[in-house]
Amino acid sequence: MKNIAEFWRRYPWINRLLILGSVILVYGWALRGLKVDLELLKNSWPYVVDFISRLWPPDLKVLDIAVEKLIETIQMSVLGTTIGAIISLPIAMLSSRNLSPVWLQWLANLLQNAVRSVPSIVLGLLFVAATGLGAPAGTLALGIYTIGYLGKFYQQAIEAVDPRSIESLQVSGASPLQIAQYGILPQVLPLGLGYTLWMFEYNIRAASVLGVVGAGGIGFELVNYIRGFEYTKATTMMLVLLVVVTAIDALSSKLRQKLEAM
Amino acid sequence: MTIECHQVQTPYAPSLNRPILNGIDCEIRQGEFVALLGLNGAGKSTLLRSLVGLVPIQRGEIRINNVAITPRNLPQIRRDVGLIFQGGGLIRQLSALENVLCGRLGELSTWKTLWGFSKHDRRHALDLLHQLGLKDRAYQKTGQLSGGQQQRVAIARALIQSPQILLADEPIAGLDVMAAKQVMDILAELHRDRAMTIVVVLHDLSIAANYAQRAIVLDAGRVVYNGECTNLESEFAQLPARSKSGL
Repeated sequence: MKNIAEFWRRYPWINRLLILGSVILVYGWALRGLKVDLELLKNSWPYVVDFISRLWPPDLKVLDIAVEKLIETIQMSVLGTTIGAIISLPIAMLSSRNLSPVWLQWLANLLQNAVRSVPSIVLGLLFVAATGLGAPAGTLALGIYTIGYLGKFYQQAIEAVDPRSIESLQVSGASPLQIAQYGILPQVLPLGLGYTLWMFEYNIRAASVLGVVGAGGIGFELVNYIRGFEYTKATTMMLVLLVVVTAIDALSSKLRQKLEAM
Repeated sequence: MTIECHQVQTPYAPSLNRPILNGIDCEIRQGEFVALLGLNGAGKSTLLRSLVGLVPIQRGEIRINNVAITPRNLPQIRRDVGLIFQGGGLIRQLSALENVLCGRLGELSTWKTLWGFSKHDRRHALDLLHQLGLKDRAYQKTGQLSGGQQQRVAIARALIQSPQILLADEPIAGLDVMAAKQVMDILAELHRDRAMTIVVVLHDLSIAANYAQRAIVLDAGRVVYNGECTNLESEFAQLPARSKSGL
Protein backbone atom coordinates (compact mmCIF):
# COMPACT_ATOMS: atom_id res chain seq x y z
CA MET A 1 0.00 0.00 0.00
CA LYS A 2 2.83 2.35 0.95
CA ASN A 3 4.64 1.59 -2.35
CA ILE A 4 1.54 2.40 -4.39
CA ALA A 5 1.07 5.73 -2.59
CA GLU A 6 4.75 6.52 -3.18
CA PHE A 7 4.37 5.66 -6.89
CA TRP A 8 1.44 8.12 -7.31
CA ARG A 9 3.38 10.82 -5.47
CA ARG A 10 6.44 10.39 -7.73
CA TYR A 11 4.51 10.31 -11.01
CA PRO A 12 1.51 12.66 -10.64
CA TRP A 13 1.27 13.14 -14.44
CA ILE A 14 0.19 9.47 -14.85
CA ASN A 15 -2.82 10.22 -12.64
CA ARG A 16 -3.76 13.27 -14.74
CA LEU A 17 -3.32 11.29 -17.97
CA LEU A 18 -5.62 8.56 -16.63
CA ILE A 19 -8.30 11.16 -15.71
CA LEU A 20 -8.07 12.76 -19.19
CA GLY A 21 -8.32 9.32 -20.82
CA SER A 22 -11.40 8.47 -18.73
CA VAL A 23 -13.13 11.76 -19.67
CA ILE A 24 -12.48 11.13 -23.40
CA LEU A 25 -13.78 7.56 -23.04
CA VAL A 26 -17.01 8.72 -21.34
CA TYR A 27 -17.76 11.34 -24.03
CA GLY A 28 -16.88 8.91 -26.82
CA TRP A 29 -19.19 6.31 -25.29
CA ALA A 30 -22.07 8.84 -25.05
CA LEU A 31 -21.65 10.06 -28.65
CA ARG A 32 -21.41 6.52 -30.01
CA GLY A 33 -24.44 5.42 -28.03
CA LEU A 34 -26.60 8.27 -29.33
CA LYS A 35 -25.37 7.75 -32.91
CA VAL A 36 -25.00 11.51 -33.45
CA ASP A 37 -24.66 12.04 -37.21
CA LEU A 38 -22.89 15.38 -37.78
CA GLU A 39 -23.41 15.11 -41.56
CA LEU A 40 -27.17 14.85 -41.09
CA LEU A 41 -27.14 17.85 -38.77
CA LYS A 42 -25.31 19.90 -41.41
CA ASN A 43 -27.81 18.95 -44.13
CA SER A 44 -30.86 19.68 -41.99
CA TRP A 45 -29.88 23.30 -41.40
CA PRO A 46 -32.16 24.70 -44.21
CA TYR A 47 -35.18 22.98 -42.62
CA VAL A 48 -34.40 24.56 -39.27
CA VAL A 49 -34.13 28.02 -40.90
CA ASP A 50 -37.44 27.41 -42.73
CA PHE A 51 -39.19 26.46 -39.48
CA ILE A 52 -37.86 29.53 -37.66
CA SER A 53 -38.88 31.85 -40.54
CA ARG A 54 -42.45 30.56 -40.32
CA LEU A 55 -42.58 31.64 -36.64
CA TRP A 56 -42.24 35.30 -37.63
CA PRO A 57 -43.93 37.82 -37.28
CA PRO A 58 -45.82 37.15 -34.06
CA ASP A 59 -49.63 37.30 -34.35
CA LEU A 60 -50.62 39.81 -31.65
CA LYS A 61 -54.35 39.04 -32.09
CA VAL A 62 -53.93 36.25 -29.53
CA LEU A 63 -52.13 38.50 -27.04
CA ASP A 64 -55.16 38.58 -24.69
CA ILE A 65 -55.34 34.76 -24.67
CA ALA A 66 -51.59 34.58 -24.10
CA VAL A 67 -51.79 36.95 -21.10
CA GLU A 68 -54.81 35.08 -19.66
CA LYS A 69 -53.05 31.71 -19.98
CA LEU A 70 -49.83 33.13 -18.61
CA ILE A 71 -51.61 34.36 -15.50
CA GLU A 72 -53.03 30.84 -15.10
CA THR A 73 -49.47 29.44 -15.47
CA ILE A 74 -48.18 31.78 -12.76
CA GLN A 75 -51.09 30.81 -10.48
CA MET A 76 -50.26 27.12 -11.06
CA SER A 77 -46.62 27.79 -10.18
CA VAL A 78 -47.50 29.77 -7.02
CA LEU A 79 -49.81 27.06 -5.67
CA GLY A 80 -47.71 24.12 -6.89
CA THR A 81 -44.52 25.53 -5.35
CA THR A 82 -46.32 26.24 -2.07
CA ILE A 83 -47.78 22.70 -1.85
CA GLY A 84 -44.36 21.24 -2.69
CA ALA A 85 -42.54 23.48 -0.19
CA ILE A 86 -44.89 22.55 2.67
CA ILE A 87 -44.49 18.82 2.02
CA SER A 88 -40.74 19.12 1.37
CA LEU A 89 -39.87 20.64 4.75
CA PRO A 90 -40.64 17.61 6.98
CA ILE A 91 -39.15 15.23 4.39
CA ALA A 92 -35.95 17.33 4.32
CA MET A 93 -35.76 17.28 8.12
CA LEU A 94 -36.12 13.49 8.14
CA SER A 95 -33.40 13.18 5.45
CA SER A 96 -30.83 15.39 7.20
CA ARG A 97 -27.87 13.63 8.77
CA ASN A 98 -27.65 16.18 11.60
CA LEU A 99 -31.28 15.67 12.70
CA SER A 100 -32.37 12.10 11.99
CA PRO A 101 -31.20 8.57 12.67
CA VAL A 102 -29.63 6.75 9.72
CA TRP A 103 -32.62 4.47 9.02
CA LEU A 104 -34.99 7.43 8.80
CA GLN A 105 -32.55 9.36 6.59
CA TRP A 106 -32.41 6.36 4.27
CA LEU A 107 -36.20 6.09 4.02
CA ALA A 108 -36.73 9.84 3.48
CA ASN A 109 -33.98 9.95 0.85
CA LEU A 110 -35.55 6.98 -0.93
CA LEU A 111 -38.87 8.85 -1.02
CA GLN A 112 -37.16 11.97 -2.41
CA ASN A 113 -35.35 9.95 -5.09
CA ALA A 114 -38.56 8.14 -6.04
CA VAL A 115 -40.39 11.45 -6.55
CA ARG A 116 -37.45 12.97 -8.45
CA SER A 117 -37.22 10.06 -10.85
CA VAL A 118 -40.82 10.54 -12.11
CA PRO A 119 -40.85 13.02 -15.04
CA SER A 120 -43.20 16.00 -14.69
CA ILE A 121 -45.07 14.93 -17.84
CA VAL A 122 -45.90 11.56 -16.23
CA LEU A 123 -47.14 13.34 -13.11
CA GLY A 124 -49.22 15.61 -15.37
CA LEU A 125 -50.80 12.58 -17.10
CA LEU A 126 -51.47 10.98 -13.72
CA PHE A 127 -53.31 14.01 -12.35
CA VAL A 128 -55.17 14.64 -15.63
CA ALA A 129 -56.52 11.11 -15.21
CA ALA A 130 -57.46 11.92 -11.62
CA THR A 131 -58.95 15.42 -11.90
CA GLY A 132 -59.53 15.88 -15.62
CA LEU A 133 -58.02 18.35 -18.10
CA GLY A 134 -57.01 21.77 -16.84
CA ALA A 135 -54.98 23.76 -14.34
CA PRO A 136 -55.83 21.77 -11.14
CA ALA A 137 -54.09 18.70 -12.60
CA GLY A 138 -51.04 20.77 -13.50
CA THR A 139 -50.92 22.41 -10.07
CA LEU A 140 -50.96 19.06 -8.27
CA ALA A 141 -48.33 17.66 -10.64
CA LEU A 142 -46.10 20.67 -9.96
CA GLY A 143 -46.62 20.24 -6.21
CA ILE A 144 -45.36 16.66 -6.27
CA TYR A 145 -42.60 17.44 -8.78
CA THR A 146 -41.37 20.24 -6.49
CA ILE A 147 -40.88 17.84 -3.56
CA GLY A 148 -38.12 15.99 -5.40
CA TYR A 149 -36.06 19.15 -5.72
CA LEU A 150 -36.98 21.35 -2.74
CA GLY A 151 -36.66 18.34 -0.42
CA LYS A 152 -33.03 17.98 -1.50
CA PHE A 153 -32.32 21.73 -1.38
CA TYR A 154 -33.87 22.14 2.08
CA GLN A 155 -31.95 19.08 3.29
CA GLN A 156 -28.67 20.66 2.14
CA ALA A 157 -29.59 23.93 3.87
CA ILE A 158 -30.36 22.06 7.12
CA GLU A 159 -27.10 20.11 6.93
CA ALA A 160 -25.19 23.40 6.47
CA VAL A 161 -26.37 24.68 9.87
CA ASP A 162 -23.48 25.54 12.22
CA PRO A 163 -23.26 22.50 14.56
CA ARG A 164 -21.82 24.57 17.44
CA SER A 165 -24.86 26.85 17.47
CA ILE A 166 -27.09 23.80 17.84
CA GLU A 167 -24.90 22.29 20.55
CA SER A 168 -25.00 25.58 22.45
CA LEU A 169 -28.81 25.34 22.55
CA GLN A 170 -28.60 21.69 23.64
CA VAL A 171 -26.30 22.69 26.50
CA SER A 172 -28.75 25.38 27.60
CA GLY A 173 -31.35 22.60 27.88
CA ALA A 174 -33.53 23.49 24.88
CA SER A 175 -36.05 20.88 23.66
CA PRO A 176 -35.82 19.53 20.07
CA LEU A 177 -38.70 21.80 19.02
CA GLN A 178 -37.06 24.83 20.60
CA ILE A 179 -33.81 23.95 18.82
CA ALA A 180 -35.75 23.74 15.53
CA GLN A 181 -37.48 27.09 16.15
CA TYR A 182 -34.57 29.13 17.49
CA GLY A 183 -31.53 27.31 16.08
CA ILE A 184 -32.34 25.66 12.78
CA LEU A 185 -35.14 27.77 11.30
CA PRO A 186 -33.35 31.16 11.44
CA GLN A 187 -30.30 29.65 9.75
CA VAL A 188 -32.23 27.71 7.12
CA LEU A 189 -34.85 30.34 6.29
CA PRO A 190 -32.79 32.71 4.08
CA LEU A 191 -31.32 29.87 2.04
CA GLY A 192 -34.63 27.96 1.96
CA LEU A 193 -36.58 30.99 0.75
CA GLY A 194 -33.96 31.57 -1.95
CA TYR A 195 -34.35 27.98 -3.15
CA THR A 196 -38.15 28.28 -3.06
CA LEU A 197 -38.02 31.40 -5.23
CA TRP A 198 -35.76 29.61 -7.69
CA MET A 199 -38.21 26.69 -7.76
CA PHE A 200 -41.15 29.05 -8.36
CA GLU A 201 -39.31 30.49 -11.34
CA TYR A 202 -38.46 26.99 -12.58
CA ASN A 203 -42.07 25.84 -12.14
CA ILE A 204 -43.35 28.54 -14.50
CA ARG A 205 -41.30 26.87 -17.23
CA ALA A 206 -42.28 23.40 -16.03
CA ALA A 207 -45.98 24.42 -16.03
CA SER A 208 -45.62 25.40 -19.69
CA VAL A 209 -44.41 21.89 -20.49
CA LEU A 210 -47.28 20.32 -18.52
CA GLY A 211 -49.77 22.02 -20.86
CA VAL A 212 -48.65 19.56 -23.54
CA VAL A 213 -50.53 16.77 -21.74
CA GLY A 214 -53.58 18.96 -21.10
CA ALA A 215 -52.68 19.97 -17.55
CA GLY A 216 -53.54 23.65 -18.13
CA GLY A 217 -51.39 26.75 -18.48
CA ILE A 218 -49.84 28.46 -21.47
CA GLY A 219 -48.30 25.24 -22.77
CA PHE A 220 -51.71 23.84 -23.68
CA GLU A 221 -52.39 26.76 -26.06
CA LEU A 222 -48.83 26.72 -27.35
CA VAL A 223 -48.99 23.06 -28.37
CA ASN A 224 -52.43 23.50 -29.93
CA TYR A 225 -51.17 26.35 -32.14
CA ILE A 226 -48.10 24.36 -33.22
CA ARG A 227 -50.22 21.28 -33.98
CA GLY A 228 -52.56 23.51 -36.05
CA PHE A 229 -49.56 25.00 -37.95
CA GLU A 230 -50.42 28.45 -36.52
CA TYR A 231 -46.79 29.22 -35.85
CA THR A 232 -47.12 33.03 -35.62
CA LYS A 233 -49.65 32.64 -32.78
CA ALA A 234 -47.31 30.18 -31.06
CA THR A 235 -44.57 32.84 -31.31
CA THR A 236 -46.77 35.32 -29.41
CA MET A 237 -47.21 32.74 -26.64
CA MET A 238 -43.46 32.13 -26.45
CA LEU A 239 -42.61 35.84 -26.46
CA VAL A 240 -45.05 36.59 -23.62
CA LEU A 241 -43.56 33.68 -21.67
CA LEU A 242 -40.03 34.97 -22.36
CA VAL A 243 -40.86 38.47 -21.10
CA VAL A 244 -42.48 37.18 -17.90
CA VAL A 245 -39.78 34.56 -17.17
CA THR A 246 -37.07 37.21 -17.66
CA ALA A 247 -38.89 39.68 -15.37
CA ILE A 248 -39.46 37.05 -12.67
CA ASP A 249 -35.85 35.89 -12.98
CA ALA A 250 -34.55 39.44 -12.46
CA LEU A 251 -36.91 40.04 -9.53
CA SER A 252 -36.16 36.76 -7.78
CA SER A 253 -32.39 37.22 -8.33
CA LYS A 254 -32.61 40.53 -6.45
CA LEU A 255 -34.69 38.94 -3.70
CA ARG A 256 -32.28 36.01 -3.43
CA GLN A 257 -29.33 38.38 -3.09
CA LYS A 258 -31.10 40.14 -0.22
CA LEU A 259 -31.93 36.81 1.45
CA GLU A 260 -28.35 35.57 1.13
CA ALA A 261 -27.12 38.74 2.87
CA MET A 262 -29.38 38.01 5.88
CA MET B 1 -19.59 23.10 43.06
CA THR B 2 -16.65 20.84 42.38
CA ILE B 3 -15.72 19.08 39.17
CA GLU B 4 -14.03 15.69 39.51
CA CYS B 5 -12.68 13.60 36.65
CA HIS B 6 -11.62 10.03 37.41
CA GLN B 7 -9.74 8.15 34.67
CA VAL B 8 -11.94 9.72 31.99
CA GLN B 9 -11.51 8.04 28.61
CA THR B 10 -13.36 8.72 25.36
CA PRO B 11 -13.81 6.17 22.53
CA TYR B 12 -10.83 5.39 20.27
CA ALA B 13 -10.17 8.04 17.60
CA PRO B 14 -8.59 6.43 14.49
CA SER B 15 -7.16 9.79 13.33
CA LEU B 16 -5.07 10.03 16.52
CA ASN B 17 -4.46 6.29 17.03
CA ARG B 18 -5.67 6.74 20.62
CA PRO B 19 -8.68 7.98 22.56
CA ILE B 20 -8.85 11.82 22.58
CA LEU B 21 -9.11 11.74 26.38
CA ASN B 22 -6.92 8.94 27.61
CA GLY B 23 -7.34 8.67 31.37
CA ILE B 24 -7.91 12.21 32.63
CA ASP B 25 -7.62 12.65 36.40
CA CYS B 26 -8.24 16.08 37.91
CA GLU B 27 -10.33 18.04 40.37
CA ILE B 28 -11.52 21.64 40.18
CA ARG B 29 -12.89 23.11 43.39
CA GLN B 30 -15.72 25.57 43.92
CA GLY B 31 -14.75 29.15 43.03
CA GLU B 32 -11.46 28.32 41.29
CA PHE B 33 -10.24 29.99 38.09
CA VAL B 34 -8.48 27.26 36.11
CA ALA B 35 -6.72 27.49 32.75
CA LEU B 36 -6.72 24.38 30.56
CA LEU B 37 -3.59 24.38 28.43
CA GLY B 38 -1.95 22.08 25.91
CA LEU B 39 -0.89 21.71 22.33
CA ASN B 40 -3.37 21.23 19.49
CA GLY B 41 -5.07 17.83 19.74
CA ALA B 42 -4.21 17.46 23.44
CA GLY B 43 -7.91 17.10 24.32
CA LYS B 44 -8.66 20.46 25.99
CA SER B 45 -11.89 21.24 24.10
CA THR B 46 -12.99 17.60 24.32
CA LEU B 47 -12.56 17.66 28.09
CA LEU B 48 -14.66 20.81 28.33
CA ARG B 49 -17.36 19.31 26.10
CA SER B 50 -17.38 16.09 28.10
CA LEU B 51 -18.18 18.12 31.25
CA VAL B 52 -21.58 19.01 29.74
CA GLY B 53 -22.22 15.58 28.21
CA LEU B 54 -21.50 16.52 24.59
CA VAL B 55 -18.82 13.83 24.29
CA PRO B 56 -19.59 10.21 25.21
CA ILE B 57 -17.29 8.70 27.82
CA GLN B 58 -16.18 5.11 27.45
CA ARG B 59 -14.43 4.67 30.79
CA GLY B 60 -14.08 6.56 34.03
CA GLU B 61 -16.44 9.07 35.54
CA ILE B 62 -17.09 12.80 35.72
CA ARG B 63 -18.77 14.11 38.89
CA ILE B 64 -20.21 17.60 39.22
CA ASN B 65 -20.82 18.42 42.87
CA ASN B 66 -20.58 14.75 43.76
CA VAL B 67 -23.15 13.69 41.16
CA ALA B 68 -21.86 11.48 38.34
CA ILE B 69 -22.89 12.67 34.87
CA THR B 70 -25.38 10.27 33.29
CA PRO B 71 -27.82 10.82 30.40
CA ARG B 72 -30.63 10.92 32.96
CA ASN B 73 -29.29 13.74 35.13
CA LEU B 74 -27.70 15.68 32.26
CA PRO B 75 -30.51 18.33 32.06
CA GLN B 76 -30.12 18.99 35.79
CA ILE B 77 -26.33 19.27 35.56
CA ARG B 78 -26.50 21.51 32.48
CA ARG B 79 -28.59 23.98 34.48
CA ASP B 80 -25.60 24.67 36.71
CA VAL B 81 -22.93 24.66 34.00
CA GLY B 82 -22.62 27.26 31.25
CA LEU B 83 -20.41 26.61 28.21
CA ILE B 84 -19.05 29.32 25.93
CA PHE B 85 -18.14 27.68 22.63
CA GLN B 86 -15.14 28.52 20.52
CA GLY B 87 -16.32 31.34 18.24
CA GLY B 88 -19.35 31.88 20.48
CA GLY B 89 -21.67 29.24 18.97
CA LEU B 90 -24.21 31.99 18.32
CA ILE B 91 -26.98 32.03 15.74
CA ARG B 92 -25.77 34.71 13.34
CA GLN B 93 -29.22 35.43 11.94
CA LEU B 94 -30.66 36.30 15.37
CA SER B 95 -30.07 39.57 17.23
CA ALA B 96 -27.77 39.77 20.25
CA LEU B 97 -30.84 39.99 22.50
CA GLU B 98 -32.48 36.90 20.95
CA ASN B 99 -29.24 34.95 21.30
CA VAL B 100 -29.02 35.84 24.98
CA LEU B 101 -32.67 34.84 25.47
CA CYS B 102 -31.86 31.43 23.93
CA GLY B 103 -29.99 30.73 27.17
CA ARG B 104 -33.40 30.65 28.90
CA LEU B 105 -34.86 27.92 26.66
CA GLY B 106 -34.03 25.11 29.08
CA GLU B 107 -36.04 26.80 31.85
CA LEU B 108 -39.15 27.40 29.77
CA SER B 109 -41.55 24.99 28.10
CA THR B 110 -41.70 24.64 24.30
CA TRP B 111 -45.25 26.00 24.36
CA LYS B 112 -44.22 29.14 26.32
CA THR B 113 -41.38 29.99 23.94
CA LEU B 114 -43.42 29.32 20.81
CA TRP B 115 -44.57 32.96 20.75
CA GLY B 116 -41.37 34.48 22.10
CA PHE B 117 -40.14 35.44 25.58
CA SER B 118 -41.75 37.30 28.47
CA LYS B 119 -41.07 40.97 29.23
CA HIS B 120 -39.25 39.90 32.39
CA ASP B 121 -36.88 37.66 30.45
CA ARG B 122 -36.25 40.37 27.85
CA ARG B 123 -35.49 42.91 30.57
CA HIS B 124 -33.08 40.48 32.25
CA ALA B 125 -31.31 39.81 28.93
CA LEU B 126 -31.05 43.55 28.22
CA ASP B 127 -29.57 44.08 31.70
CA LEU B 128 -26.91 41.47 31.02
CA LEU B 129 -26.06 43.03 27.66
CA HIS B 130 -25.87 46.40 29.41
CA GLN B 131 -23.48 45.00 32.03
CA LEU B 132 -21.27 43.66 29.25
CA GLY B 133 -21.32 46.98 27.38
CA LEU B 134 -23.55 45.84 24.55
CA LYS B 135 -26.87 47.55 25.24
CA ASP B 136 -26.72 49.63 22.06
CA ARG B 137 -26.04 46.46 20.04
CA ALA B 138 -28.92 44.47 21.52
CA TYR B 139 -31.07 44.52 18.38
CA GLN B 140 -28.22 44.05 15.91
CA LYS B 141 -27.75 40.65 14.25
CA THR B 142 -24.81 38.85 15.83
CA GLY B 143 -23.35 38.10 12.39
CA GLN B 144 -22.72 41.85 12.09
CA LEU B 145 -20.89 42.15 15.43
CA SER B 146 -17.11 42.02 15.91
CA GLY B 147 -15.44 38.89 17.32
CA GLY B 148 -15.07 40.45 20.78
CA GLN B 149 -18.70 41.58 20.83
CA GLN B 150 -19.84 38.10 19.78
CA GLN B 151 -17.88 36.57 22.66
CA ARG B 152 -19.53 38.98 25.08
CA VAL B 153 -22.97 38.00 23.72
CA ALA B 154 -21.99 34.35 24.27
CA ILE B 155 -20.99 35.17 27.85
CA ALA B 156 -24.32 36.94 28.41
CA ARG B 157 -26.16 33.90 27.04
CA ALA B 158 -24.31 31.64 29.46
CA LEU B 159 -24.94 34.04 32.36
CA ILE B 160 -28.71 34.23 31.82
CA GLN B 161 -28.77 30.59 32.98
CA SER B 162 -27.20 31.75 36.28
CA PRO B 163 -24.63 28.94 36.18
CA GLN B 164 -22.33 28.15 39.07
CA ILE B 165 -19.64 26.86 36.73
CA LEU B 166 -18.64 28.67 33.55
CA LEU B 167 -16.61 26.80 30.93
CA ALA B 168 -15.05 28.76 28.07
CA ASP B 169 -13.45 27.13 25.05
CA GLU B 170 -10.77 29.45 23.65
CA PRO B 171 -12.84 32.58 24.27
CA ILE B 172 -10.09 34.90 23.02
CA ALA B 173 -9.08 32.98 19.90
CA GLY B 174 -8.92 35.36 16.94
CA LEU B 175 -9.50 38.51 19.02
CA ASP B 176 -7.22 41.54 19.06
CA VAL B 177 -5.31 42.40 22.25
CA MET B 178 -7.89 44.87 23.55
CA ALA B 179 -10.90 42.62 22.87
CA ALA B 180 -9.07 39.65 24.42
CA LYS B 181 -8.31 41.67 27.56
CA GLN B 182 -11.93 42.83 27.78
CA VAL B 183 -13.23 39.22 27.58
CA MET B 184 -10.69 37.94 30.13
CA ASP B 185 -11.46 40.85 32.49
CA ILE B 186 -15.17 39.94 32.36
CA LEU B 187 -14.36 36.32 33.27
CA ALA B 188 -12.11 37.50 36.11
CA GLU B 189 -14.87 39.79 37.38
CA LEU B 190 -17.41 36.95 37.36
CA HIS B 191 -14.97 34.82 39.31
CA ARG B 192 -14.22 37.57 41.83
CA ASP B 193 -17.71 39.05 42.33
CA ARG B 194 -19.92 35.99 42.00
CA ALA B 195 -17.48 33.33 43.18
CA MET B 196 -18.13 31.49 39.95
CA THR B 197 -15.96 28.51 39.05
CA ILE B 198 -14.26 29.35 35.76
CA VAL B 199 -12.53 26.83 33.52
CA VAL B 200 -11.06 28.35 30.39
CA VAL B 201 -9.15 26.78 27.50
CA LEU B 202 -6.26 29.04 26.51
CA HIS B 203 -3.26 29.00 24.22
CA ASP B 204 -1.51 32.06 25.63
CA LEU B 205 0.66 31.15 28.63
CA SER B 206 1.10 34.75 29.81
CA ILE B 207 -2.67 35.34 29.83
CA ALA B 208 -3.11 32.11 31.77
CA ALA B 209 -0.51 33.27 34.28
CA ASN B 210 -2.20 36.68 34.60
CA TYR B 211 -5.74 35.46 35.20
CA ALA B 212 -5.83 31.84 36.36
CA GLN B 213 -5.11 30.53 39.85
CA ARG B 214 -4.17 27.12 38.57
CA ALA B 215 -3.21 25.52 35.27
CA ILE B 216 -3.95 22.04 34.02
CA VAL B 217 -1.76 21.07 31.09
CA LEU B 218 -2.89 18.24 28.84
CA ASP B 219 -0.81 16.21 26.44
CA ALA B 220 -2.07 13.32 24.28
CA GLY B 221 -5.27 13.11 26.32
CA ARG B 222 -3.60 13.00 29.75
CA VAL B 223 -2.91 15.53 32.48
CA VAL B 224 0.83 16.20 32.48
CA TYR B 225 0.85 19.19 34.80
CA ASN B 226 -1.59 20.37 37.45
CA GLY B 227 -0.49 23.29 39.57
CA GLU B 228 0.41 26.95 39.80
CA CYS B 229 0.75 29.16 36.75
CA THR B 230 4.14 30.53 37.74
CA ASN B 231 6.43 28.38 35.64
CA LEU B 232 4.32 27.34 32.70
CA GLU B 233 6.91 27.95 30.00
CA SER B 234 9.31 25.42 31.45
CA GLU B 235 6.45 22.94 31.86
CA PHE B 236 5.68 23.34 28.19
CA ALA B 237 9.32 22.91 27.26
CA GLN B 238 9.21 19.47 28.83
CA LEU B 239 6.35 18.28 26.63
CA PRO B 240 7.50 15.50 24.27
CA ALA B 241 9.08 16.84 21.09
CA ARG B 242 6.74 14.82 18.86
CA SER B 243 3.73 16.66 20.28
CA LYS B 244 5.36 20.04 19.82
CA SER B 245 5.77 19.40 16.10
CA GLY B 246 1.96 19.35 15.88
CA LEU B 247 1.79 23.05 16.82
